[in-house]
Amino acid sequence: MIDFMIAAVIAALVNVVLLAITVTTYVQNMRLIRSYYTLGLVLVATLLMIQNVVIVIFWATLYMHNSDLMKSADMISHYLFAINIVQTIGLSILLWITRR
Amino acid sequence: MFVFTINFPVFSLYTVIPRDIFQFMNSFKGKNDSMSDPRFKMIIWSIIAGTRGGINRAKILNLLANMPLNANKIATTLNLDHKTVIHHVNILTKNELIVKEEKNYGASYKLTQIMKDNQNVLVEIMERIGTK
Repeated sequence: MIDFMIAAVIAALVNVVLLAITVTTYVQNMRLIRSYYTLGLVLVATLLMIQNVVIVIFWATLYMHNSDLMKSADMISHYLFAINIVQTIGLSILLWITRR
Repeated sequence: MFVFTINFPVFSLYTVIPRDIFQFMNSFKGKNDSMSDPRFKMIIWSIIAGTRGGINRAKILNLLANMPLNANKIATTLNLDHKTVIHHVNILTKNELIVKEEKNYGASYKLTQIMKDNQNVLVEIMERIGTK
């Protein structure tokens, strides 16, 4: 059986990498065009990056402290995987548009 | 003989989404975008400010606003690689911001009508880029 938890963590790390590349492009543009639009793009991408880091920390905490929590977290880990993989697909499309 | 026809209703974009649905944005208007369509403004902002190499795209649009030029002349004027210019021009054509004057190779490009109507957005962006 696939360990959904590991897969979800890998997907979250991929998200962080994709967002890092996107933020780099946005910052390069923001240094030339200073406006609310470019600032907003950088802000949104950075906040999404924080979200991905925090969700990994949150699930790691569930697994660390209590075995009861671990059991219930195992039961729903495939939903976390689904959330993260959908986000990965979306961010790949965004990155493709951005770097084209 | 019975001929069965279906009359598909013809909707323009503005029937589905009224043109003045974003009129509340009027309060945020800058000084020189009095006539521009806010949705088109969003498209041009995202193509220029939201992609890699968008600054060069803005420069190409600004150049073509004055006179139609072919890809080679754009490359020499802006001091860019020919392949880069071809890539940018293809993207701008796909987004219907510019169009080829004729079909043949080496034809010059010009702005489309919708781009001409909303040129003040481009002017605003070029002001922000400045001479950097």
